[in-house]
Amino acid sequence: MNCEVCQLKELDIEHFEIREVLRCILHTVLFHRALGLVRPKDIDLELFEITYVQCGDVELERKIDEKIDQFIDRVEKHPNKKNQICLSFYEVKNKQATWFTNKVERLYWEQWYINLNVAQHPKGISGKSYSSKVVVDPGAESRSARRAALETSLRDVLFQIIRFVNEKKDHIPPIPNLEGVSFPYEITISSSSDSAFGMDMLKRMLQTGHPTMLS
Amino acid sequence: MASYHGNPHSEPAKMEQIITEFFAKSLHIILESRSPYVSSRNYSGEQVLSSPSPSPSSSSSSSSSFRPRDKWFNLALRDCPAALENIDFWRQSNLEPMIVDVILVQTPLNFSPKRGPARNSSSGKDRHFYGSDTDEFGSEAKSEKIIERWILQYESKKSAGGGSSTSSSSGSSSKRSGNTSSHALYKKSILLLRSLYATIRLLPAYKLFRDLISSAQIRLYNLGHRVSSFVEPFTRREEADMQKFVFTPVETSCGRLCLSVLYRSSVLDLSSEPSTPISPQFIQEYVGSPMAEPLKRFPSGPISQSSPSSSSPFGRRHSWSYDIYRESPSSANPSPSPTYSEAPIHRLPPSSLPRHLHDDTSSVVAHVKNPSYDEYWPSPMFSPSPSPSPPTNVTGVSHMPKAILRYSSMPSLPNKQPRFDQLTVPKEVVAHSGLHHRLFTLSKDEPGNMLGVKPSSNSSLSFQDDSEFSGAFVLDDEDDTTDPGSRQGSFDLACGPHTSFPVKKSQDAAVGALVHMLKKATPLHQEISVVHHMQEDTTATTSSNLALSKTTADAFEELRLYREMKDSLLKQGKKNIPQA
Repeated sequence: MNCEVCQLKELDIEHFEIREVLRCILHTVLFHRALGLVRPKDIDLELFEITYVQCGDVELERKIDEKIDQFIDRVEKHPNKKNQICLSFYEVKNKQATWFTNKVERLYWEQWYINLNVAQHPKGISGKSYSSKVVVDPGAESRSARRAALETSLRDVLFQIIRFVNEKKDHIPPIPNLEGVSFPYEITISSSSDSAFGMDMLKRMLQTGHPTMLS
Repeated sequence: MASYHGNPHSEPAKMEQIITEFFAKSLHIILESRSPYVSSRNYSGEQVLSSPSPSPSSSSSSSSSFRPRDKWFNLALRDCPAALENIDFWRQSNLEPMIVDVILVQTPLNFSPKRGPARNSSSGKDRHFYGSDTDEFGSEAKSEKIIERWILQYESKKSAGGGSSTSSSSGSSSKRSGNTSSHALYKKSILLLRSLYATIRLLPAYKLFRDLISSAQIRLYNLGHRVSSFVEPFTRREEADMQKFVFTPVETSCGRLCLSVLYRSSVLDLSSEPSTPISPQFIQEYVGSPMAEPLKRFPSGPISQSSPSSSSPFGRRHSWSYDIYRESPSSANPSPSPTYSEAPIHRLPPSSLPRHLHDDTSSVVAHVKNPSYDEYWPSPMFSPSPSPSPPTNVTGVSHMPKAILRYSSMPSLPNKQPRFDQLTVPKEVVAHSGLHHRLFTLSKDEPGNMLGVKPSSNSSLSFQDDSEFSGAFVLDDEDDTTDPGSRQGSFDLACGPHTSFPVKKSQDAAVGALVHMLKKATPLHQEISVVHHMQEDTTATTSSNLALSKTTADAFEELRLYREMKDSLLKQGKKNIPQA
């Protein structure tokens, strides 16, 4: 069984845009993977002229907001790093309840990587600037231009998701008889310092089918 | 796809049903997000028990508040009746492509909001349906542009063995795609519809749709739709302006479902083109307008709604004359509205009056011979008038009251001669209101007089003064059917005390009284017919003699007499001013 991986286009966003951008992307992906009965809910972004769709699942919204909060905390703790959110869908294989381990085997069949470069606030500027994402507060015009560029990029990301969903359909397991989000999923956060290593490890683990060590 | 035979639960039957419902769902999704007037924003959640869906992967009956249809493809949508109505054609045959055009309808500033009939021809392949919103605006002077074209079709594969999976051009992994059963088809259809649902909200036209349904501002554009199975392809130039997004086809054992969209990326520019602020345009047909309520009287005052082009040469208008000046705005309004044709037919276009007057002086002269009317139509009197004058054509007698009103409403005319004209006009009305018989008999005796009034008598000059109008008209107003003899007496009574009337009575009051009288007057048509009947009743010789005797010269003579009377009255009036 192959695991389809989609690396979404990198986005340069500011701190206050994190929540909206992440909500938009995560919900769009999940809407395409919630193949049970859904009541779609249109959500208009406040910062951009984009409307995305939610499943209408309250529990899902709560979980996503939790993860976004975690991401924001991480970004504040680890500035100047490329941050990544991984949304993974897996199948629960046999529950191996043994004496030593009670782990549930997960077989990941799809992963989405959301790559974000969060610009730092002026007061949060540190000496390390190799990532060069410092916001110098350029002015209203450039800010609006940047916002427009980000909106275009975000739209590109959404279309990227749609194309991926269209092109890759065969790897999806049979739809469980559930309502709403039909497949188990998880959302993980990683930073640039350890993301590369983490991704490699993850891929190896997925291919072998061992349970992951991701939080 | 061949229709199934017998077993509705067979694989081909299921697949056919899935494809049919796919068409319906797609149309639902598209119209829900593109047609401001067909989409239902109110969720109509009926408490319907979930029926066992033939789809193998649909959810259970956990949500019982949905209609069975809404559960298709696990996408519960709100009602969209228009979509449901238009899908019938494709339910019969899902081999026909379904093409949904989203049309941007831009209206000019001077649109006329008249609903036209909805075109709904359902003839075979040329089934068209125009959304009701396209008929909102008048069909004239509006531009339509197709900003999106959704093309949905099922391409059947005409292969000999329909059971095996055919090679797909997408090159997707065949490990799981080997299962071309209805289950796989349904799952992939779900995915495709999810993509459609998300994509349609990301296209530029969605913003137009949202602006239309959310904003209360007046928009100069509207979105319409057209669902058909056959359309003209775009020209190369049109297609160059459009972008294409193709959804990955869903492969089946017998064919594949294909969905694509051609869309304009610059619709926002199109919708914002006529964004110039709406110039102050006078609404002709506002509720309560004379055009809408022609019989309604308006209070006097400046009429701000009148368009300059339809205004009379007069400096000001009277309230009662508003009806007249609003008669036929189409003659002056550069953008004629179909609703103007609904104007009362008894109105004359103002432009026709002077034309008629100037062109038909000969006929006026001829009418002078008519015993009933010639006394009242010193036509040459009217011709030099700069303003439209009442028509002198007898046949247009039904228009007389209005024309008279119009004529009498000329405030810009000097108080000299036109006063006499005003004098003569009501006379005709008086005549038509019941004195026709009397006229006939009186004129027989005194050809030079009108209404049997002796020229020497001051009473006859009652017509020549505004103040006396009311007196005379009040008299006539009382009873239009009184015996002419009594009317004669009453007329004298009216004439008698006229001298005590204040000369400088307001012109508005006089005009108002005139209007009042005219409105109560019997229709002139009847008068004419009665007159004609009377003429027939009387001896033919007498009538013919009268007809022959009256000539233009006689009319002029009478005119001169009346002028003299008028002058004398005016002199008397001036003397009475200090006493009033």
